[in-house]
Formats: sequence, C-alpha cells, structure tokens
Amino acid sequence: MTAVAAPPAPPEAPPVRRVRRGGGLAPPWWFAVPALAVYALVMLYPSIAGAASAFTDWSGVGEQRSFVGLDNFQQLLQDDQALGALRSTLLLTVAIVVVQNGLGLLLALGVHTTIKSRMLLRVIFFAPVVVSPVMVSFLWKYVYNPAPDAGLNAVLGALGLGSLRQDWLGDPSLAIWSVAFTVIWQCAGYSMVIFLAGLEGVPKELHESAMVDGAGTVARFRHITWPLLAPAVTINVMLSTVGGLTLFTQIIAMTNGGPGYATDTLSTVLYKQAFVFGKFGYSTAVALVLALFVAAVSFVQIAYLRSRETTA
Amino acid sequence: MAPEMISAPVSRRRVLQLLGGALAAGTLAACGDSSGGGGGGGLKVIGAGSQEAGLRKALDEYKLQNGSFEFNLSFSPADQLQTSLRAQLAAGNAPDLHAVYPGNGSAMSMVQLSKAGLLADLSDQSWTQKIPSGFKGAYQQDGKTYIFSPGTSVLGAIYNKKAFAQAGVGVPTTWSELLAVCEALKKKGIVPLALGAQTPWVTQLIDYALVPGTVYAQQPDFDDKMAAGSATFAGSGWADAMEKYLELQRRGYFNDNPNGTTYEQATSMVGTGKAAMAVQVSAVLQAYREAAPSPDDLGMFPFPATDNVADNWIPGGIVVGIAISAKSKKADEARKFVEFCATPATMNAWAEAVACVPLYAEGEAKVDPVLKPFLPNLAGNKAVPFMDQRWPNAEVQPTHFAVVQELLGGRTTVDAALKKMDEAYRKTA
Repeated sequence: MTAVAAPPAPPEAPPVRRVRRGGGLAPPWWFAVPALAVYALVMLYPSIAGAASAFTDWSGVGEQRSFVGLDNFQQLLQDDQALGALRSTLLLTVAIVVVQNGLGLLLALGVHTTIKSRMLLRVIFFAPVVVSPVMVSFLWKYVYNPAPDAGLNAVLGALGLGSLRQDWLGDPSLAIWSVAFTVIWQCAGYSMVIFLAGLEGVPKELHESAMVDGAGTVARFRHITWPLLAPAVTINVMLSTVGGLTLFTQIIAMTNGGPGYATDTLSTVLYKQAFVFGKFGYSTAVALVLALFVAAVSFVQIAYLRSRETTA
Repeated sequence: MAPEMISAPVSRRRVLQLLGGALAAGTLAACGDSSGGGGGGGLKVIGAGSQEAGLRKALDEYKLQNGSFEFNLSFSPADQLQTSLRAQLAAGNAPDLHAVYPGNGSAMSMVQLSKAGLLADLSDQSWTQKIPSGFKGAYQQDGKTYIFSPGTSVLGAIYNKKAFAQAGVGVPTTWSELLAVCEALKKKGIVPLALGAQTPWVTQLIDYALVPGTVYAQQPDFDDKMAAGSATFAGSGWADAMEKYLELQRRGYFNDNPNGTTYEQATSMVGTGKAAMAVQVSAVLQAYREAAPSPDDLGMFPFPATDNVADNWIPGGIVVGIAISAKSKKADEARKFVEFCATPATMNAWAEAVACVPLYAEGEAKVDPVLKPFLPNLAGNKAVPFMDQRWPNAEVQPTHFAVVQELLGGRTTVDAALKKMDEAYRKTA
C-alpha cells in the first residue's frame, strides 16, 4: 500500500487581517491619518481654541484677555435677550420642523405619481433649495414690502382681501412667522426630495396586495407607506431641527433680529455679542451652550426616531 | 513626441529639478510683484461706504502727485464694517489703513480699537495740533490722536422742496411750526416724514435730532454727568425727545409701517416727492440726490426740537475716519498719505465730496450749499457730537436701535426703553 504522502504542511497562516462585518478587508487605520490631520487642523483645533475663549473676557480684537471662569455662563442665565432669543428659536424650530416636513411630505406624495409633468414639478419645487439663502431673503423682503401697493399686500388688495394686508416684517408679533414662512418655502423642496427617496423604496407589491385586500388610499398610506418612510422622517426631522436651532442667515438678512428683539435667535445673539457689542468671550459662551443644546436635542431625537424605525 | 514624454518614467532627481524650477519661478514672480507693485500690491485700504467719494478723491490725487504710490481700495457699508473689518482685525490681517468710527460707543470706534492696541499713534503729525478742543474726544484717547476724519457731518431734515411748495409750507424753526408743516403736508396727501426704521441705524436719527434741544441745550455737561453716574437717560430730556418721536407717529406723520420700511425705501420716497422729509445725516445727501429727478429739489434744515429757537441745538458729529493699523508693514507710507489728507486743500475737497464741514480751513471753507442753515449753530457752539460718540461701550447704541423699534411697534414704553438704555450704559466697556 502506498503510503499516502502526507499532505504538504499548510503554508504559514497569513497574519490575521481585520475583516469587516460586511465582508472584505478593512483598510489599515493609518489610511485615515491625512484626513484626520486636516480635520484636526481646520475643525478641531479652531473649535477647541475658540471654546477656550468662553472662559475669558476677550473683546474679539487685540491681545487683552483674562480668565473669568464661569462668569460668562452665569451672565447668560440672567440675560433677558438671550432667554427671549431661546424662546424664539424654539418656536421657529417647532414651526419649521412641523410645517416644512409636512409640506415636504405632501409635495413628495404629489410628485410621486406617474403623471407626465412629474419631473418638471420636482424641479420647480426643489428650485428654491439651490438659491442662496441671502438671495431668497432679499427676494422675500420685496414680497413683504409693507406698502399697500407693493408685494404680497398688492396681491391681497387685487384679490379683494385688502383687510389682510400686514406689516409683515415690521410687526413684532408677525415678523418671526414671516421669516419662518420664507425658510419653509425655501427648504420644503429639500424635505420633499428625502421623502421622495423614501417613497421610491416602498415596494409596489405591498400596495398591490393591500389593494387586493380592499385597502383604500388612506389605509395604505397609514399602514404601508408611513411606517416604511420612518428612516426618511428621521433624517428630515433631524436636519430641520438642527437647521431651525441654528437659523441665522435669513434672520440677519430680513430683520436683523428686529423689530426690537422680536426675531433674535440664539445665533443672532451670539453674532451680535461678538461683532456688534465686542464681547467675543461671552459670545463664545453662548455658542458653546447652543452647540451642546443642539447636540442634546439631536441625540434625544435620533434615539427616539431610530427606536421607532426598528419597531415599524 | 508628447505621448513618449508622458509615459517616460520620472526619476526622483527629475522631480526635484522640476520642484526647484517651480520654486525659482515662484520666487521670481514674487520679486517681480514687489518691484512692480511699489511694495507688494500697494497700500491696502478699506473705507466706509459713506466716505467713498472723499477718500477715493484723496487717494487718486495723492497717486497723481506720487507716481510710485499704489493702493488697493475697497469699501464696506456701515453695517458690515463691524463684522468684516473686525474679523480681519481679530485674525491679525488688518488692512494698512481702514475706516474707524470717531470717539467711543461702537465696536469699531477709535477708543475701543486703540485700547486694544490696534491703531497707530498719529500724534506726531502737525495737523493734530489744529483739532478744535471740542472735538478732541472724537480723535484722541489718553491725549494721543489715533484717527483722521475730514470734519463734521450734521443731522437734520432732508426735504423735498417741490413737496413743500405743493403744500404751501416753508421751513419750520420751532417744534410747533414743524407739527403745523407736517399737518399741512398730510392734508395734501404727502407723507410728512419718511422713516425707514427697519434699517437699524436709521432708528436713532430722530432722537439724535431732538436730544440736542431737549437735553444738551439745558445741560451741556450731560455726558460728563452720565459718566459720573449722576444722570440717567430715563431722568433726562431723552424722555421728552422720545415722547416727541412717538407723537409724530401718533399724529400719523410717518409713512405706514416704519418698522417694515428700509432706509432705501425711505430715501426713494423723499426723492420722488411721495414723502416730504426724512431726518438724516448730511453724509447721505448724495443718495437722496440720486433718488430725485433733479438734485436741486432737495434741501436740508435743522430739525427743531423745542419752541424756543435758541434751544434748538443741532447734532454735528465727526464723520467716519481712517486710522493706520498698528501692525501695518507700510505704516510710513500710510502716515504720509494721512498727512496729505490733513492738508487744508485735500481736506476741503474730501469734505465737499461727502457734504461735511471741514475740520479746519484756510480762509472760508467750501461747503455744500444745503449745509448753510447749519453753519450758524456750528459757529455759535450750539452743536453736539452724535450722542454715541461719548457712550462708554458698544452696547448702548444697538440697545437704542432695538428699543426705538419696540416703541414704534407699541411693544414698550418710553420709561422702560430708557431704563434699558441706562442698563446697557452701566455695563463695563
């Protein structure tokens, strides 16, 4: 009997490479070093160096600065203007999150059809998103011209609704909603696109079988579309919340925080403290609190919405 | 040929040669730049939009006389001076010569910036000796001069002569006459006073026009008393001025919705005769003239605050000036230019271009004819610098803007508004 030759010793096992869960080899960590270095230089370092200013009385120019501990944060707690701005910021955020996403969803459902003009409609609804916010603000300042024969007021007059004419940006109780409307007008198309992507992912078969079972449009939306749109809802709510909490450009361009302090948000307060009042240290403290606040809100939101996605 | 060149392997030595060539080319280019540009691209200057006509004139004339002089000039509107220029100052890349507000009271004012060590001391220039004592606070901090400004701008009512003629009214000299003029204009369907209070800096102008009469004519040392803590806005003639401001609104003498109206819209209303007057600084006369069919349609008069003509003082503030950055590498060149600006001929030309009264003159100064009604007040010491120039920090003025908008919007009372300004005044600089 011929002895079976012993199988050749297996070659020395190659060094174990970390394998990604999805298969394939993970690139070595040091591949990320150049990107991390650039990130650290242009993002981390300025952020940390800037955050340190929150504990000083620096005016923003010159060398003079001294350490003041938590004084700036204590001042913030007693600052009526900042607290008023916090209220406005939250109001704006709620309005933007609810209305912008609601409108975005309606637009998405509207253009998620087979009608011929759907592509054109999508482009039209998305168009404001690509225009610079400053440009949009100036455009809407014309629309909101308070003269009875100009802009929106003229349209209302022509429609026989003259009694609805308003001082859109000059009335302290109305100005914030006028700005909110502009932001919503501009950003609803953005929400629409995300919802549209979500809608494209809803399998047609589910709708077809539900139709066979006799489900109507509303029932199909409620039990099929809406649960499957959960990831799109998460993204949209997150993005619009962060956008609302940090809203700045449209406010500065349209009302500069006025009339009085009526449309000041936390972002405009920190900008004014730094550049108008010359209190960079205090401004950085406001910025730090705002950043932590946005992070906390986003964290809670994402935790809740993600759990909803898994149970959907 | 070309493909072979591309595919040929490039040796390390060749790379180094190429790099060396590139470096040499860069160096040569830099040399060429500095030799051709008269010092690396010329003097970097950022001016205030309202001073454009004057500063440009001075720079062009200086270049004509000094062929090698080069400058790189840009302008910043009032609202952006505080952001764009301050950001550059903070980053340490300030222009060699830049706009600065006289006195104190704004984040871009001479006192705030010189305290931070950002402005070069100009005290060794001879013209600084000619600064009238009443204006020293605008130019000097701790006895040192840090800013050059061509002179005084006045604040009053810019008015449309045709609108006045249409209503059959003349220039008022007392508060009661002013109300009568407004009433007559209103009856003719002309808006008596255009107010673009959505633009923050416009909100302050009516108070500034009234306060010299209601406060300073009685208490010329009001600023000193405020600084000493023995006076308050709330307990002074400021309350009277704000009540009068609101009285004009109550009587319907402003355009509808001033808080929603911008400076540009108000300017156009007066230029076209839809409105008859606007309380403004003479520095913006040019913008009003451009909005009118003919520049001669517009005149200007002191805005009366009281019924006692002798008490109707005027606000006359030193206009936005220029200062040299303490870190400028071209400080010598900048200093020479500032000295040139301060010669009577240049200063007069600059002042005339921006409708202000020159700081000093040899003989009679040439001023814009519309300013003539203000000259007796200036000569008779009945002019007060713009109020913010002696405020102690950069917070009082924006607070004033906001409370005026709140008053016009019916959101606060005169007393509460002035208390808020007092609070801002007491904050440390």
